[in-house]
Amino acid sequence: MAEETWKNYKEKKHFKSSPLKGIRVLEVCTLVLGPAGPGYLAKMGAEVIKCEIPPKGDVAREMVPFGYFFRGQAPGFIPININKYWLGLDLHRTEGQEVFRELAVRSDIIEDNLRPGVMDSWNVGYRQIKEIKPDIIYISKTGFGPWGQYAEENRPSNDGGAQAFSGYAWMSRFPGQPPLKNRLFVCDSYGALMGEVSVLAALHYRERTGKGQFISLSQNENIMRAMSWVWPYQQITGKVAMPAGNRDVSICPADTFLCADDTFVAIAAPAPEEFRGLCTAMGRPELADAPRFKDHLTRLQEENATEILKIIADWARTKTSEEVEELAEKHGFAASRLYTAKNVVEDKHFRERDFMTEVDDPLLGQYLEYEFPVMMSKTPPKVKWSVRPVGFDNEYMMVHLLGKSEDEIKHLYDCGALGKWADMDGRRPPPGWDGKAGLILARDREGKE
Amino acid sequence: MEKEQTWPDWVRERDNPRIAHTKPEALDDITVLDLSYKSFAGCYCSSLLAEFGAEVLRIEPPEGDFIRTCTPYGMLYKGEGLNYLSEGRNKFHISLDLKKPEGREILKGLVGQADVLIETYRPGVMDDWGIGYEQLGEINPRLIFASITGYGQFGSMSRSRMPDYDNITQARSAVQYTTGEVIPEGKSYDECPWAVPTKAGPWIGWVQAGTFMAVGILAALYWRGMTGEGQALDVATAEAYASFDDYATSWYQGCGAICERFGSLTTAAWLYCFAPTKDGAVFLGGIRLEMWKAFADMIGKWDEWGAASWTTNATFTEKEQQLKWSRLIFAETRKYTNKELVNMSVEYAKKGRLAPITPVVAPVCSPEETMKDANWLERGIFTPVKDPVYGELVVAQAQHKMTETPIRTKWVCRPVGYDNEHIFLKYMGFGPSKLNKLKKAGII
Repeated sequence: MAEETWKNYKEKKHFKSSPLKGIRVLEVCTLVLGPAGPGYLAKMGAEVIKCEIPPKGDVAREMVPFGYFFRGQAPGFIPININKYWLGLDLHRTEGQEVFRELAVRSDIIEDNLRPGVMDSWNVGYRQIKEIKPDIIYISKTGFGPWGQYAEENRPSNDGGAQAFSGYAWMSRFPGQPPLKNRLFVCDSYGALMGEVSVLAALHYRERTGKGQFISLSQNENIMRAMSWVWPYQQITGKVAMPAGNRDVSICPADTFLCADDTFVAIAAPAPEEFRGLCTAMGRPELADAPRFKDHLTRLQEENATEILKIIADWARTKTSEEVEELAEKHGFAASRLYTAKNVVEDKHFRERDFMTEVDDPLLGQYLEYEFPVMMSKTPPKVKWSVRPVGFDNEYMMVHLLGKSEDEIKHLYDCGALGKWADMDGRRPPPGWDGKAGLILARDREGKE
Repeated sequence: MEKEQTWPDWVRERDNPRIAHTKPEALDDITVLDLSYKSFAGCYCSSLLAEFGAEVLRIEPPEGDFIRTCTPYGMLYKGEGLNYLSEGRNKFHISLDLKKPEGREILKGLVGQADVLIETYRPGVMDDWGIGYEQLGEINPRLIFASITGYGQFGSMSRSRMPDYDNITQARSAVQYTTGEVIPEGKSYDECPWAVPTKAGPWIGWVQAGTFMAVGILAALYWRGMTGEGQALDVATAEAYASFDDYATSWYQGCGAICERFGSLTTAAWLYCFAPTKDGAVFLGGIRLEMWKAFADMIGKWDEWGAASWTTNATFTEKEQQLKWSRLIFAETRKYTNKELVNMSVEYAKKGRLAPITPVVAPVCSPEETMKDANWLERGIFTPVKDPVYGELVVAQAQHKMTETPIRTKWVCRPVGYDNEHIFLKYMGFGPSKLNKLKKAGII
């Protein structure tokens, strides 16, 4: 627990350095699979420049639960686009491509999630960029990778497609029911995360050798990796792996149970001392020594598992989920009620750890945002600012990073290479914006006057 | 620039998993100690590093890690549980009893030579044993000490006695609550036991947490390269999984709405659902307005539905709209087989009014169909590994592909203590006589 190490972690967070300080990332990404990856790096201190095609930009700017915009922005767009710089750059135009190349030579990492070949056709593909920046680390995240039958058919993909194609959804339902799509964009978020494993491994290799490389990640293939036992099971038995609802067929007991108060509680108690604890909590300590339950491998067998889960289900129906949680704590097995979004936002522990962290954003105001969920004792990840309208930081990027003059910038706007937001919800600034808040260059100018 | 080759050919020549073994490894200068116990998150995390060539010493108690017994229906293959069998990959397996002081002394010797330590014990256990971060940091200030637990290393719940399991993580993250069939009106849970909050089948609660930690470790390695300093890292599995939820918390904060189950429709996206077909179901995706229009066109409803006049998808995400439009769509998709719909989408990309834009149409596959799909086989996902102990085995691999330092699977797993001789000799200089003594004393 290392108490000294984590003392005042929350309070001292912003006094400490960030692990990826000095790393610059160019992002040409849309929806979730693309932007979430650089989003993870941005929370760890990388400077991420998000390039969007003006004026509408990222399609995720329309990802609104039942049509609801949070302070003018799409909730589905926010958590994955924290701490970024916002460039409205039209890569269809030669001048836009030239700006991108100027940025690329100053960058360490480029990330895209467009269909294979699109970046190439814009003259900013890996082969073109490595000519001017040989050690670039370039990742392209797609449905199917750049080669193979589905890639040749140029099929589009997204999270739900990967849930379907991989067997993930098929495995995540009750037996006899139709396949169920997980409400999360899990193949997107998880694909984005796995992408960063390879990006950072490549960064380590670059530090050692000076060499960059091209990486491709398929969200379909990645979620298959997460399905562990399913593949050797099918190979060994020659049978299809079967879904089992909320029951974990590899851990027993582990399931979700309906409680007396019509809420649900998840319980897990497979290890000997945990199982004994659960049996004691149920007032049935003798079950822990019953030959069919005593040993985990025996207990996992279909007939035995069905029996013990039925016993637990009948018991859980007589308790509230809160009572089950208390008994779990007392007897050393695991239990949790099913959290809702409200519980996550209001959870005391999450706040103490600053996992739910307060943002004080010049545009969106105060709210709670997810912290990058790896707490780091010397270089804590940090949420600093929230999302911005399309092209919001154009001037800052052009002046501070590329040293462009006012005339050059004007030309880039005139020819359509640079642009700003469309006058639509999710694209424009929040209602009541004063025309200044959050603008970096405007504040610079004010300071000089 | 090499113009003669198409982009797919150029990449394939360089990132095909079949040539991975001819290329260098990104992390082969790193030594990792994986002490994880009762946690697939820890094993998975060290697998991700071992795939890149890190030398991972998997340290188990002499009786083996309990996680090896966590296997579907209690099934063993050549004495091994199937989950562990797929994530013991590339790791050297040694045994060491950390409950004994002598075992802990040996661990300190390994720590002095290691870069990363991964552990999953309840917070405080390692400290009580005298091998917590603060103690081991004294021995090796460059050490990256990575802990993965249910509740994390600090905060009031960190002292909980409750262990960390995948289904608990799925419950506590608020993801399970929002996934599942909607209960039919007037019915009870007892009548419809399947219309309840539903977790994902695979161990996503564990694997994502392990992956987050791998990202954290690699970032910490980069910073160590800059400064020479190690540090402690802390992942709480439920936080990690909760952070995948894109929109539920700002929705709640904005207007008090609690995200509820919505079957295979999607609260915050349109077009985005599973749709029934003649012979199963397909996923339909058209979050981008033009793709939704292309879908309407593809099934011959461009004029009838007035697709030309649609200007945004945002309004289609409203609940009543989703219910109305999904009914209309399902009536159409039921007329076709999965294969017909997939082909319609591939053809639309060539000849449709909005081509090359086309909706996403993906068949809902059983994992058996997935494993036989020629596309994934060609891409090297299910290439059997020839393991010296377990024979030819299929485990999913090559989930990312790289031109310079591709991952590879050298072996899938090892029995407990399989590498004791080699590793203890290499790191500690323990020859056969010393090993025998340690074995007799129950330390290894």
